[in-house]
Amino acid sequence: MPDNQEQAGALGRFLAAQLTPERIRTWRIIFFLALAVIALLNLVITNHEPHFGLDRYPFFWPVFGLVVGTVMVFLVKKIVQPLIGRPEDHYGDI
Amino acid sequence: MVTSSFYHPSIAFLMTAAVLPLLPGNRRWKWLLLIAPLAAIYGAFTNQPGDFLTLTWLGQTLKFGHVDRLSLIFAQVFAVMSLAGILYSLHVDDRGQHIAAVLYVAGGFGCVFAGDYLTLFVFWELMSVGSTFLVMLNRTRESVLASFRYFLYHTVGGLFLLGGLLLRYKATGTFDFTAISPAAAQPYDFLILAGFCVNAAVVPLHAWLPDAYPRGTVTGSVFMCAFTTKTAVYVLARAFQGWEILAIAGTVMAVYGVLYASMENNARRILSYHIVSQVGYMVAGIGVGTAIAVNGASAHAYAHILYKGLLFMGAGAVLYAAGTQKLDELGGLAARLPWVMVCYMVAALSISGMPLFNGFVSKNMTIFGAAEAHQTFVAMGLEIAAVGTFVSVGLKLPYFAFWGGKRTDWKRELKPIPRNMYFGMGLLSVLCIAQGVYPALLYNYLPFPEAVHEYAPWTAWHVLQACMILGFSGLAFYAMRRVITPHKALNLDFDWFYRLVGKALYLIVSRPAAWFDGVWTDVWNVLGLRGLMGSAFGSTVFDRHVIDGIVDNTAYGTRGAGRVGALPQNGRLQYYLGLMTVLALGIFALYFYGVL
Repeated sequence: MPDNQEQAGALGRFLAAQLTPERIRTWRIIFFLALAVIALLNLVITNHEPHFGLDRYPFFWPVFGLVVGTVMVFLVKKIVQPLIGRPEDHYGDI
Repeated sequence: MVTSSFYHPSIAFLMTAAVLPLLPGNRRWKWLLLIAPLAAIYGAFTNQPGDFLTLTWLGQTLKFGHVDRLSLIFAQVFAVMSLAGILYSLHVDDRGQHIAAVLYVAGGFGCVFAGDYLTLFVFWELMSVGSTFLVMLNRTRESVLASFRYFLYHTVGGLFLLGGLLLRYKATGTFDFTAISPAAAQPYDFLILAGFCVNAAVVPLHAWLPDAYPRGTVTGSVFMCAFTTKTAVYVLARAFQGWEILAIAGTVMAVYGVLYASMENNARRILSYHIVSQVGYMVAGIGVGTAIAVNGASAHAYAHILYKGLLFMGAGAVLYAAGTQKLDELGGLAARLPWVMVCYMVAALSISGMPLFNGFVSKNMTIFGAAEAHQTFVAMGLEIAAVGTFVSVGLKLPYFAFWGGKRTDWKRELKPIPRNMYFGMGLLSVLCIAQGVYPALLYNYLPFPEAVHEYAPWTAWHVLQACMILGFSGLAFYAMRRVITPHKALNLDFDWFYRLVGKALYLIVSRPAAWFDGVWTDVWNVLGLRGLMGSAFGSTVFDRHVIDGIVDNTAYGTRGAGRVGALPQNGRLQYYLGLMTVLALGIFALYFYGVL
């Protein structure tokens, strides 16, 4: 509805403008560059007090975040939820 | 309840609840709601450690004002949260909701300052009643049903606590609310622990929380997400510090909550599961029991109340505006609700432990405390939960609520969000960032000041570590965004077992008990009723022939004796003298012969 678009504030207009394919591509590049910078910094800034053994090596935490996040999503959505998912009104109290 | 050096915050909230129904119908009464939280903030930041407000009642000493650093830090964040919550709910005209909220908050403060189990129990139950109404007053069928389940469950939890404290009193002779050593624990201590664990949503006693909180009122759930579980964290920290079973339970909670949150479609249910997860950090810190771990748990409770309140405010604002909290029905709203999105993201980054936000300080302090205590599995479990937290609350929920891969939805009708809701969100956003940037705002109030410098959050390594974990968790979300796309479903949880127990009890009542009742009725009709009629007939006969006979003959005897007694009373003096002489001689004769 044009009214809603016209009434949007500056922040709303800015956010709406970010949804073009070009801007999305730009944000994606910024995100990947940031990840690369963070990972490379791990070669310079290291953990002097490792608690888990492997965390004394560089790139442990990037790998940890990526692997745990991926495995967790796959596990719950592809294995657990098909087993325990039921229709929303399963208990008949909606 | 004010002394020269102590102000009990509950009193203003209780007075507000008492006065609200009596005020006239215009909306000016709403401003009165702000008095109690402002007074609470004054009290929480000025009260000094000590014991105040003791009352002797039925031979017991009730301690309403036990103040130390642990109670003060919880009272402070309760006070701040009560102000933010009431600001957020000022537009609500339903006085019942406000009364329930202030009673609930009063209960929370009462628990925090309770110095004995009896006082604690009274305020504990007050919280239970107040929060039940915060769910019920959403006034939908599912809310009312959920509120009854919630109340039933908390009543059972309260009975655990009551049984434990009474047995403890019988054994020890005191209701004092003090630390319990795990080495000297008795069965009644485990009953008390079970009562506390119900409110702390310790898995598997947690399922009431994701059942009730998503069904509460928009504003009521903001209060509930802050007080019930954190009051339980406080009482666990006071009584059960260093119980290793809590370290394990907390780690299980932290991971379990994020797993369910990753599956859920309902925004406020996702946040509810994250309460379970985040309270898990606190329970684990308490279980580890070292000074730095308990400091971490307390700091995390403080930070959590602020950002979780803000998360529920953001999700509640979306629900208020769009009329749904289901992620598959949302999306394309970032440009329509930009400031709601910004405030939500402040909370999302806080809960995820992003540098510059308060969770970065408190969460890492708790994990550090566990690791330093050589509880490696606990620390690793909490790190795994941190990844899940960012994936589900930091990315999944806001992505599908505000973007969802859709263009801006300009056509959707959105209900305008009242300014006061923005004020509430703004206040908490500022505090989340302020504590992250300036950790002294947290550090100054931690229960063990001697241990606060064991962990320094703002080091290059801690900042980089947080950025690595969160950045690459974000990459995992990006890679799996189509897999994690939410859809309508009810995910079975432990409430399936609760309902099973409820059904079993219902069956016991409705089948064997009903059968026995029917048989008993037949037996009664055949034997009991005839026996009753027979005994009634016997009673009548007995009454008529025995009782009446005795009564009648007593009356006849009295009348005859009266007539005989009246004969000598003829008014002649010589007869009286003669009669007295005969009586005197008779008595003398009896005495003379030794009878008297």
